[in-house]
Amino acid sequence: MKIQKLFQRTRFGIFAIFGGIVLSTSALCLYTVDTQLSAEYEINSKNIAKTVADSSVDILLNRDMATLQSLVDQFVEIQGIRYIYITSETGEYLAHTFVPGIPEEILRSDHRNTEPVERELPGLGNFIEVGSPILAGVAGTVHVGMDLDVVALKITRAIGQQVYLVSIILVIGVLASIWLVNLAAKPLGELLAYAVELARDNDEQSLPDREVLARDDEVGHLARLFLYVARNGPRPDALEATPQG
Amino acid sequence: MLTRKELIRYVLAAAVLAPWGRALGGTASRFLQADSDPAATGSGGPPYSGEIVLGVSAAFSGPSRGLGTELYRGASAYFSRVNEAGGINGRRIVLKMYDDGYQPDPCVENTMKLMLEDQVFLLFGYVGTPTVTRVLPLLKKFQDENIFMFFPFTGAQPQRQPPYGDFAFNLRASYAQETAGLVNNFVSIGKERIAVFYQADAYGRSGWAGVRAALAPHGLRIAGEATYSRGANYTGTMRRQVEILKASSPDAVICIGAYAACAAFARDAVDFELDVPIANLSFVGSENMLKLLTEGREDSESYTRLLVNSQVVPSYEDLSLPAVREYRDLLDRYDPQVPPELVKEEYAPFPYSFGALEGFLNAKLLAEIIRRLEGEADRAKLEQAVFSVTDYDLGVGERVSFGPNRRQGLQTVYYTVVEDGRFVPLNDWQAKFA
Repeated sequence: MKIQKLFQRTRFGIFAIFGGIVLSTSALCLYTVDTQLSAEYEINSKNIAKTVADSSVDILLNRDMATLQSLVDQFVEIQGIRYIYITSETGEYLAHTFVPGIPEEILRSDHRNTEPVERELPGLGNFIEVGSPILAGVAGTVHVGMDLDVVALKITRAIGQQVYLVSIILVIGVLASIWLVNLAAKPLGELLAYAVELARDNDEQSLPDREVLARDDEVGHLARLFLYVARNGPRPDALEATPQG
Repeated sequence: MLTRKELIRYVLAAAVLAPWGRALGGTASRFLQADSDPAATGSGGPPYSGEIVLGVSAAFSGPSRGLGTELYRGASAYFSRVNEAGGINGRRIVLKMYDDGYQPDPCVENTMKLMLEDQVFLLFGYVGTPTVTRVLPLLKKFQDENIFMFFPFTGAQPQRQPPYGDFAFNLRASYAQETAGLVNNFVSIGKERIAVFYQADAYGRSGWAGVRAALAPHGLRIAGEATYSRGANYTGTMRRQVEILKASSPDAVICIGAYAACAAFARDAVDFELDVPIANLSFVGSENMLKLLTEGREDSESYTRLLVNSQVVPSYEDLSLPAVREYRDLLDRYDPQVPPELVKEEYAPFPYSFGALEGFLNAKLLAEIIRRLEGEADRAKLEQAVFSVTDYDLGVGERVSFGPNRRQGLQTVYYTVVEDGRFVPLNDWQAKFA
């Protein structure tokens, strides 16, 4: 005989606890990964902008625009960097990676700005742009645009992997808990079945002798107690002690 | 300086990695060994014993394959004649060739192989600014080996000025000279609003800088600019670029690109009513551009009537020039073809072209320089041999001189327009464009 109702709340409780763990872990992960990866990308962009700025000084002073462009082209091959442009101290665009042209929003922006700024460029996407001055700004400024969509994709992927792992643990945990509960419920079912048989059979001599009686646990004790009661009947004082109504 | 031990280590490492590099990079290489081409009779013997090996990395595949192919054909025709006559000081000229598809990274890999694995005598016939500018630091790195780059097919500044100018020798005029000529001629006929359409890389930037510098003395600035990505095909659209430039109301557009993209721009400029002169630099590959714009069209002049292309060699139709006659004779005789190992896409070469004539002149001058080594294939003496070339008659009407402060042989820029389906010299800018 199966025990259906006794562990219903237990099962629900286990599922709720695991679900809570999954949700809270995912939320924490989302926050941590988003914050850390965004910060990391911003720092990387700043470093790249600074590297380009440092490397550009001699090239700019030599007025070698081809080498300057070649330098910029190499850095834009780094994953996540979508554009780089270098402006002169007067705001002239000396090298850039835009095709088919420099977006209007960038043309209108402050070419000396080096603080991180978020940009939405039509047809290109969303970016976070950082800048670095060349020769303290007197030779121009390097601007590096990091693709926020790539950052978002990385964050989504990192969180997805985390959630996937926790979800697998949730499924395995719930299945394991169901199995454990069923394992615990099995002797109780046997006891219940035994008690039902005892209640149906009034012939003292033909009372069943089952495995459950041999158990060395609480269920075994209860089974033997039921058998004793069935054979000898309840003690009168025990009946009197039974609370009424 | 590289020690012998380090060099051996590099060579061994390169030898171990070479098969992987080939498998991944897909570049093909070989010593030319065509029976019909005496220039290509490298027997695979040790370098310097009976041959002089020249290392080539150029575009033999991709949308710009015509440039590498034409340049090679001209050079190979001349070396074939040299080898047929017994070589230079008893040594045959052999070309060790790799394809870089006009892409910088394969070009760098190829150059490493040529220098360390193949141990070529010098680098020759490279194609393109984005490729050459990435190789120049390698030459500086191995400067103690005295490996020089001869006559690359680019007019960019990096191989003409410090810090890399000492590692290359140029024959052709620079992009700065080409763009200055175009700008000055346009300004002289009242076309002062000049826009630029350029390849988004070092080549395009080099031309852009040339236009900018040429406009400055006139008190002018670039009127508008639009870019395209390297490797663009003729089938792609340049409508957006045309619209951007049209918004700047230019009097003329100077294009700094390769033939497929520039032809697409010239086509779309006409289709979207940007009716201004469109100029192209020598690198464009004029014949290939013309072919794209006229092939299969009844009205073949509609896309070409406002074209003006600058050239760094004279017209191959000018039979008054000894070098042109010799070039045509040798190209007819040998008709060199790119080795099959390097051919990935079909390409039908032209009977004659500006690119092939440039390749021919490059080979002719290089052969003269090697001849001046007087039998010693010694890299350390190469620079002096180059500097010994003064007032040399290459047969193009302009004499060639080199020196420590003069590392470019020719200075003349020629201008051509399309008439009767071919490029002919432009003599009167006013009559043509005013």
